[in-house]
Amino acid sequence: MAIPGASDSIDAATFEQILEMDEDEEEREFSKSIVYDFFSQAESTFVKMDTNLEQRDLKTLSELGHFLKGSSATLGLTKVKDSCEKIQHYGQKKDDTGTNDITEEEGLSKLKTTIEQAKAEFHDVEKVLRKFYND
Amino acid sequence: MAAPLGLPSLDVPTPIPPVAPRAASATDRDTALALDIFRYTPVPTIVLDPSLLVVDVSDSYCRVSAVLDREQLLGCHLDAFCEKVTLPGLASSRNAIQLARDTARPHQSLVAHDGRTWSLRTVPIFSHGTLRCFLMELQDATEAHRRQLELEERMYSNETFRILVETVKDYAIFMLDPQGNVATWNAGAQAFKGYTKEEIIGKHFSSFYSQKDRDDGKPERELRDALRDGRVEDEGWRHRKDGSRFWANVVITTVYKGDVLLGYSKVTRDLTERKQAESELIAAYEESSKLKSEFLANMSHEIRTPMHGMLSALTLLLDTHLNPEQLELARVIEESGEVLLQVINDILDYSKLASGSFSISHDIISVPDIVQSVFRAQQKSCHVHLESNLDPQLPKAAEGDSLRYRQIVQNLLSNAVKFTETGYVRISATLQLEDAEAFTILTEVVDSGIGIPASASGSLFTPFTQFDNSATKKYKGTGLGLSICKSLAELMGGNIGFRPNPEGVGSIFWFTAKLKKVKQIAQLEVLQEKLEKLSCPSPKMPLREIELAAVDKRVLLAEDNPINQKVMLKTLARLGFNKVDLASDGREAVRLSMHTTPPYDLILMDINMPILDGVQATREIRKAGLHIPIIAMTANALKGQKESYIAKGMTAYIAKPVDRNLFVKLLLNCLKREEPG
Repeated sequence: MAIPGASDSIDAATFEQILEMDEDEEEREFSKSIVYDFFSQAESTFVKMDTNLEQRDLKTLSELGHFLKGSSATLGLTKVKDSCEKIQHYGQKKDDTGTNDITEEEGLSKLKTTIEQAKAEFHDVEKVLRKFYND
Repeated sequence: MAAPLGLPSLDVPTPIPPVAPRAASATDRDTALALDIFRYTPVPTIVLDPSLLVVDVSDSYCRVSAVLDREQLLGCHLDAFCEKVTLPGLASSRNAIQLARDTARPHQSLVAHDGRTWSLRTVPIFSHGTLRCFLMELQDATEAHRRQLELEERMYSNETFRILVETVKDYAIFMLDPQGNVATWNAGAQAFKGYTKEEIIGKHFSSFYSQKDRDDGKPERELRDALRDGRVEDEGWRHRKDGSRFWANVVITTVYKGDVLLGYSKVTRDLTERKQAESELIAAYEESSKLKSEFLANMSHEIRTPMHGMLSALTLLLDTHLNPEQLELARVIEESGEVLLQVINDILDYSKLASGSFSISHDIISVPDIVQSVFRAQQKSCHVHLESNLDPQLPKAAEGDSLRYRQIVQNLLSNAVKFTETGYVRISATLQLEDAEAFTILTEVVDSGIGIPASASGSLFTPFTQFDNSATKKYKGTGLGLSICKSLAELMGGNIGFRPNPEGVGSIFWFTAKLKKVKQIAQLEVLQEKLEKLSCPSPKMPLREIELAAVDKRVLLAEDNPINQKVMLKTLARLGFNKVDLASDGREAVRLSMHTTPPYDLILMDINMPILDGVQATREIRKAGLHIPIIAMTANALKGQKESYIAKGMTAYIAKPVDRNLFVKLLLNCLKREEPG
């Protein structure tokens, strides 16, 4: 099932697997609970990211990036996942591919823009999903 | 009394002399001739003058009316005459003379005497407008009269039949000529076949049959059968002129006159309504039976769900620290629960089979593998000597439903073990038949158990019957197992049966299944190998396999992200894993895997976890000497990382998001590796 207006931010095959677990295609109880759990998980993670950005705690930021990367990957939210992976790398003071070292300052400035980008991407896909679940 | 030999003198101008053979004149000759005619005519005749005196009677008359003395009759008046003779009677004679005189025409009537019928013809003879005499002639009309009566009677009955046949409306009654062409047609035939008389007379009666019947030569066959047996009866569809059809009962009877075949009578009855009522009745019965089965199926399903919940909770309860008494009670609950679940599953299967909503799948199966696997499972908990014997000719692969094949084998084998206290149970599978399309495989289970009494052998495969129906039932069960097996075997194009063990004690249960050959098996195997190399499983098989493999497998899922936990738990549950434990960090994963008995069959390990990551947790588990398969799960989709995880003690690796097909394949590999053989 294609999610209208989300072809580039949601990986159809992955999200389809989640939808397949619904017992009832009308209610979609299971997938909806997962997606809504993810919304609150993402919001709280972004709050933690903001706090740690202020405290310049790169290691925690990297862990938070990895954490959110895991769940966004499971749901197939590609864009959010990619940004979270970057956050993970920048927090480890690596470039966006995770291969070359960067300085702490470079990392912090990249983290700042990437976290904002991740939030924007999250809110975009959140709108699409809420619409999909008729909320 | 007038002269005995002369004619009465009344109006006769010239008295006619008595017979005078010697007379020479023309008149004399004529008179003599006339007298001779009257005297010797073979038609019994009486001549009366207008005043009704007897002028002459013929000899033939004297004979028929048994008159001995002709002379004494001559000159008598009719009234006196009739008293002396037997024929004709006075009343009929007077009546006849009256009518003849009044009409001046001959009058004919019938008189009966002594069982015979006489025709009395009374002819008035006039000369120049004056009545000269009456001639009364008698003729024996007995035979003609009888024929006439018969004819009338026949006409009457023919008419009756004609009216019957023509007015009857609920039947089509008509005649066919010897060639089968319609010869007559009645109102009923017209009413329910739609043809008018003009349209159908002369047409062959096969017009009433369907094209298919005509192609099969059914009409001709019916005539042939009628010729042979005199009569043929048939029920079937017949067609009207407008093409609509009705369900008819048809009787064709041959009609002969003497030895000549006149044709056939054909009586057709319209049974459409009866047929309809019958099919409505059948449909109503089937509907109610289906509803019953559906209800059973629904109920069983509804009962099964909470049952699973109870049994799962019980399994968890058994893992807690129970004292021996509690453990004993919990085991009783577990055992009863298992039996109850089996009962419910049986009923569910049975009701699905009965409602026709049961279908078997067509996967590639291996009968030797199935038999072996059931055999091995049974061997573990068996108190008698178990033997298996597999025909080396059995195909390695054929089309079938492995789950259902297994179910039959399992049922027969566990029955045999259940009812056998001592001795042996043997299972054998042989290739019974092989043709271009399919294999027929015979599977037999022979035991030396209690056997089946002859009285019970007839109802073995009937649902809900058990031959031990005593109140103190020793053997548990629903009595559905064998009837389910029967339906399953039939769905597989085979049969099921029982015979006593020829060795004296015990039973032999057997079933056959017709399994389609796998087309181009060689190619398929090559393809499958390729697929395996690509680690891209064929879509259907592994899912079924994993459902089988998942039964009773204990899995530990180590994952910190609650969303991923939820998704993975759901994924595992859908694949049939119902014993999954959860660890939220590496430390807990290590603790659980070292302290859980029996040990897990599989661990799914996230890499990045708090406290202790997946790699470190794996290292600790391996250090403790546990060789459980561990599948690494991570979103770190970097090249070379798979190898590094495997180097660190993990068995396999799967990337997040988890692709279900890949995951199934991986699970199968890991679980198979764990199982010896």
